[in-house]
Amino acid sequence: MNRVRRLEELLAGLLRYGSWSASAAIGLGFLLALVGSDSAARNPATAAHRIATIGIVLFILLPMLRVLVMFLVFLRERDFRFACVAASVLAIILLGIVLGRPAT
Amino acid sequence: MADSFSLWLFAVSVGASALGGMLGMASGIFIVPILTLFGHIEMHTAIGASIVSVIACSCGGAGPFLKNRLTNIRLAIVLETATTAGALTGVLLAGIVPVSYLYLLFALILFVSAYQMLARRRNPVPAFANQGASCRRDALRLDSSYPDREIGREVLYRVDRLGFGMLLMYGAGLISALLGIGSGVLKIPAMDTAMRLPIKVSSATSNFMIGVTAAASAGVYFLRGSIITEVAGPVAFGSVIGAIIGARILLVVPNDKLRLLFVGILVILGAQMLLTLFGVHLRSL
Repeated sequence: MNRVRRLEELLAGLLRYGSWSASAAIGLGFLLALVGSDSAARNPATAAHRIATIGIVLFILLPMLRVLVMFLVFLRERDFRFACVAASVLAIILLGIVLGRPAT
Repeated sequence: MADSFSLWLFAVSVGASALGGMLGMASGIFIVPILTLFGHIEMHTAIGASIVSVIACSCGGAGPFLKNRLTNIRLAIVLETATTAGALTGVLLAGIVPVSYLYLLFALILFVSAYQMLARRRNPVPAFANQGASCRRDALRLDSSYPDREIGREVLYRVDRLGFGMLLMYGAGLISALLGIGSGVLKIPAMDTAMRLPIKVSSATSNFMIGVTAAASAGVYFLRGSIITEVAGPVAFGSVIGAIIGARILLVVPNDKLRLLFVGILVILGAQMLLTLFGVHLRSL
């Protein structure tokens, strides 16, 4: 029971700080784009665009990171059945990226 | 033009997310229709922007649920194999399915949501009728308990009909990826009705799973270039702010009026999606 509790706290922390960082990056990018809109800020290469994109990528990676953390914790607790379950979730996500990515 | 447009995106997302948050619903179901109908944004771009805000709301809201021990993380990871598999199917289909079908499916989901809003969510089982948990075989150790503040004690619950629940979760993942929504519409019947979970547990656990499900399709949408920072950024940022506001207003506004308002908006948006579909259809003839 205590182990589940600890995992809950760990995941709560990860998701909270992860969300804050990603939101902060997106928000900063958004504000910079508004402030600097007179200059070349609309150019996709500007810092504002890059910061906001980093925030978006952080958000996409955050749930995957959460599953990875669960996988590692289950593995350490020798709960191999659930480690396998977490690993399959990661595998399905990766498979989607491999199958779904645009043909180059 | 660009800045006023991103301000508009931001404002609309704050509104949609605050409205959704007031009734514990994700904003995705409003974002896509608003962006396509009023912002004249291309469907896949709207879906890409929405899916990022769905992740943001799920991850941002997960902390308190976990701290109050409402989220069943073991059940969540098991069901996530089904939701991500559904998302995988959905994202592959998304490249093939004609946009007009997406409009139709979206209108359908909006109407189903409106119907669900009208039929109140009730606790599927009385909180104490559910204490046989320990006498039953539970090989995956999914049965659990949560502290209920209203009755002031720990409530044991068991997980029923896991297979049927997983099937519905697969569908939820598919719809989520296709339409860029959290698809609580399908997760709610799956967890409340099929698996007979207490309402607080099913809300918390579904919120927890939505992030991973959305991330599974968002990764692909990002690589395909459907997630455009200029659109997705303001929408995600606005949704986060709106969710914070929505959680506060929840305590003030009487719930029944809000519910009717919500139903009205869902029906209007659904009808608008259908009208647009016919418009698109007529123009293409």
